[in-house]
Amino acid sequence: MTIPIETAARPDAASEGRFDVVVVGAGHAGCEAAVACARLGLHTALLTVNLDDTAKMSCNPAIGGIAKGHMVREIDALGGIMGIVTDRAAIQFKMLNRGRGPAVWSPRAQCDKPLYSREMLALLAGVPGLERIAGVANHVRLERGRVAGIELADGRFLACRAAVITPGTFLDGLIHIGSEKIAGGRIGEHAALALSECLSELGLERGRLKTGTPPRIHRDSIDTAAMAPQRGDDPPQPFSHWTERLELDQVLCWLTRTSERTHEVIRRNIHHSPLYSGEIKGAGPRYCPSIEDKVVKFPERTTHQVFVEPEGRDVPEIYVNGLSTSLPADVQREFVRTIPGLERAELIRPGYAVEYDFVLPHQLQATFEVKQVPGLFLAGQICGTSGYEEAAAQGLIAGINAALQVRGDPQFVLRRDQAYVGVLVDDLVTREHREPYRMFTSAAEHRLLLRADNADERLCEIGHAIGLVSAGQIERVRAKYAAIVAEERRLARISVVVPEGERPMRAIELLARPEGTIAGLAARGVASEIPPAWSDCIEVRVRYRGYIERQQRTAEKSASMDHVLLSVSLWEDELVGVSREAREKLRRWRPATVGQASRIAGVSPSDVAVLMVHARRGRANEAPASVEG
Amino acid sequence: MTDTIAAIATASGRAGLAVLRVSGPEALSVAGHVFRGRPPLSEAASHTVHHGWAHATTDARCLDEVVAAVFRAPRSYTGEDVVELSCHGGRLSAERLLAALVTSGARLAGPGEFTQRAFLNGRIDLAQAEAVADVIHAETEAAHELALAQLAGALSRRLDALGDRMTDALAEVEARVDFAEDVGGVEVPPHVVDLIESVRGELNAMLASAAWGRAIRDGVRVPLVGRPNVGKSSLFNALIGEERAIVTELPGTTRDRVTESIELCGARVTLSDTAGLRESADRVESIGVARAWDTLEESRALLWVIDGTAPIDADDHEIARAFAGKRVLVALNKSDLGCVLAPRDLEPLLVDARWSAAVSVSAVRGDGLAELRAALAQLIEAAPADGAGAQRSIALANPRHADALRRGAEGLARATAAAAAGSPGEIVALELRESLAAIGEVTGRAVDADVLDRIFGRFCIGK
Repeated sequence: MTIPIETAARPDAASEGRFDVVVVGAGHAGCEAAVACARLGLHTALLTVNLDDTAKMSCNPAIGGIAKGHMVREIDALGGIMGIVTDRAAIQFKMLNRGRGPAVWSPRAQCDKPLYSREMLALLAGVPGLERIAGVANHVRLERGRVAGIELADGRFLACRAAVITPGTFLDGLIHIGSEKIAGGRIGEHAALALSECLSELGLERGRLKTGTPPRIHRDSIDTAAMAPQRGDDPPQPFSHWTERLELDQVLCWLTRTSERTHEVIRRNIHHSPLYSGEIKGAGPRYCPSIEDKVVKFPERTTHQVFVEPEGRDVPEIYVNGLSTSLPADVQREFVRTIPGLERAELIRPGYAVEYDFVLPHQLQATFEVKQVPGLFLAGQICGTSGYEEAAAQGLIAGINAALQVRGDPQFVLRRDQAYVGVLVDDLVTREHREPYRMFTSAAEHRLLLRADNADERLCEIGHAIGLVSAGQIERVRAKYAAIVAEERRLARISVVVPEGERPMRAIELLARPEGTIAGLAARGVASEIPPAWSDCIEVRVRYRGYIERQQRTAEKSASMDHVLLSVSLWEDELVGVSREAREKLRRWRPATVGQASRIAGVSPSDVAVLMVHARRGRANEAPASVEG
Repeated sequence: MTDTIAAIATASGRAGLAVLRVSGPEALSVAGHVFRGRPPLSEAASHTVHHGWAHATTDARCLDEVVAAVFRAPRSYTGEDVVELSCHGGRLSAERLLAALVTSGARLAGPGEFTQRAFLNGRIDLAQAEAVADVIHAETEAAHELALAQLAGALSRRLDALGDRMTDALAEVEARVDFAEDVGGVEVPPHVVDLIESVRGELNAMLASAAWGRAIRDGVRVPLVGRPNVGKSSLFNALIGEERAIVTELPGTTRDRVTESIELCGARVTLSDTAGLRESADRVESIGVARAWDTLEESRALLWVIDGTAPIDADDHEIARAFAGKRVLVALNKSDLGCVLAPRDLEPLLVDARWSAAVSVSAVRGDGLAELRAALAQLIEAAPADGAGAQRSIALANPRHADALRRGAEGLARATAAAAAGSPGEIVALELRESLAAIGEVTGRAVDADVLDRIFGRFCIGK
């Protein structure tokens, strides 16, 4: 089977393609979804408008960060690709929050944007069963109520048994720069209008969100001497569990600050901002405010931080992190030039805000399949999230589930106590969303269990069972944790050297103290028998054992509710005993488990108790049917 | 809740009036079938009262003269349409009316079903729903006031306010955990520790009222125990103010347990006179003695009656062995005959008791009875140790509430301790979340911490 790659050369070619899964969009969600499907043995198409626009980093040039870095480690442990590509494209590594508690140590890597795309393209090219197709998706064709294929703008049709749609900010995207409005999802690229219309025809309820990006400044126009250099970690720690060694010359970033003069320019021009003139209707992310928002909402602040970050080794663009704005380009230039080090700054591209449609995610299952359209999966910003990492996590889960469904295997859902990825999915399908969803560590009630250091312990076995983590990889992880457990036992047996007159002490007791470290043990005569890279892991396990065990107990309790299934037929029932508000919410969300139901706002603990009764009764009624089946 | 329910709302028995309550989507039409008056109930405005006659729906016989009060949803007790029909008292009138309502399409309400509907419709929360039962079952004025305050939402409001402050503390900590680059500084600053401690102080103050609240709500059983012939029955009669128990000078007169209730500081105290504790050859008496021992073992609070004119003997030591963990009030009786025992002589026997006091009395002359009553009030914790009158309206009468708040306070104590030990913010946050969840158990509200809203409202977040 051959698929025409160059649409421009044969615009009227109506060739048929037949696939198991078609993934629409080759951003961070689409790439994960396509690779997962292909690696699970399915014939997969990855459709994108322009083949070079793959895994583009539309906004900041970094992967990871607090809670996001955790998710990248999890994606990697499940057999996803973001961590590997990041390690290949990164130009600076940093473990954030190192001075805080272990649950919130978060890796982040500054990346070379064009290199990230190239590395992703190289990886995709090496995945058997994955075909990359250039084209514009126009329509999802249904047959007998389920997905039958994707119709392209040029008339081609890609038949498939499941589709994963990942259009990012392109659904009815509208870019704002001052009062100027341009249809598009990313500057210089068209919006996906037909696809947007198609989703409306499918009856999907939608909302409108907004996000923004700062101006890009020319590297040669900044004065680095006037700013504080920001270095990476030495040695750098790789993102991926499978990256053996990192060898790179890390770049510098810089820190500078806005001043009262900056704020004065912004205040004087605030009426030109579409955010304040009422032009923008979509809700923006509060955690990522524009500079005009920060100036207006926190007038008492005389300065705000600006991180000056190169977008790559050999590109002129400098990203000014902290200056996201939709003010007119000339105003942007004026206020940027009030900032130390940026006095002579030349703008390569102005910052802008973009409004786009998203599908209210209560219409999705925890597999990212649209409840009312079997075979149609959505992932990424279309589900109301922001961030490369959130998108990749959804792409992986949607891709795995699309593949499992085509193969006829049971679906795959992570629990909240297993991964941030599980928290992300659950939050999306059980909460109301008023702003783009971003992961925070505070979203995870089992935060001490979900550390960046133990993502492999939590998830590699699962990735292996799915088929995305190889036998060789899982053996490495098993050997690592066997060694760690053996080392803990050894430390519990042997004693450290104590000063004259002090009571004898086991090595593990010393390690459990706040100041205890593996290095500290060596100074007391107990040399470690595990590689230094695992020190963090063992220190945290020993020091926080009591808390970790407590969280494991509460996790087990809540997990038990996630295993109680609610039948879809229940929502047609009267739901006797459930409060009025909860009944309305439950009928809208149609949760799949009692656990999901319990997290919907408006469903009280007593409603949950009643649902448990209904669930039990439902099981009793269904039992004979399943015997027959 | 698609059906309409009806029940007689007043107690059975002779009375001037009886009230029937109808609630549900068809309440107006169901009651309207039975009620004949102007205007028809289906046209009556909410919160109005109408005079009319009730008729049987089957044969149009007149049943009674009635007054109908109309409450339209959602401004009614249950949050649904409600009609309350007042008819003449006595069993028959109300029952025939109820039968007519059922014929018209109402279903007989189950126990507590009106309150359940109020709860399910969001009219009252869990603590208030529980208070309804307490209001109905209150036997003393203080118990009634306590339950009414809870019904009015005093407890829920107080806990909501505390929960709000705890969420503030959590937001402060989480802001520093998740947004270190924006907020910075120590993860649990002193003002947050102060906030946690002030909430913990209030929770503890509420917990201090728990024993009092329980005494007021449930009443307390206090058996009078002791050797034979020390004057238990005389003292029992003196305390209740009538000659209920048979008193003779013969040891072993009391065989069966005699009980009577009195009210002390707003609490109902059920006193019971028990058989004197001794070995007996008499079969009837020995059964009484065995029961007295059982009563002694089961009770949390006791009144130990001692003959103050005689020295302590082996039987007293035997009895005192059962006092471990109990609250024991000692009455040194027969003070009119000249006591040889002083309270301090008893101290060695009371070391294992959880609380103890001793009072000299004369059951026959009435000397010291006032002091004994005051001591009894302390025995049953009906008198708050701190005398905090303001606390009374929201005393924790319900053991479920007390348990939840205790866990909440313990979590806050651990949070403060973790902060003092320099533990990371996520540990302090973990404790705060557990405390919040415990508080939420009382009002039945899920703790939707809404932490992010507070963080974004308070701190400038984001690059």
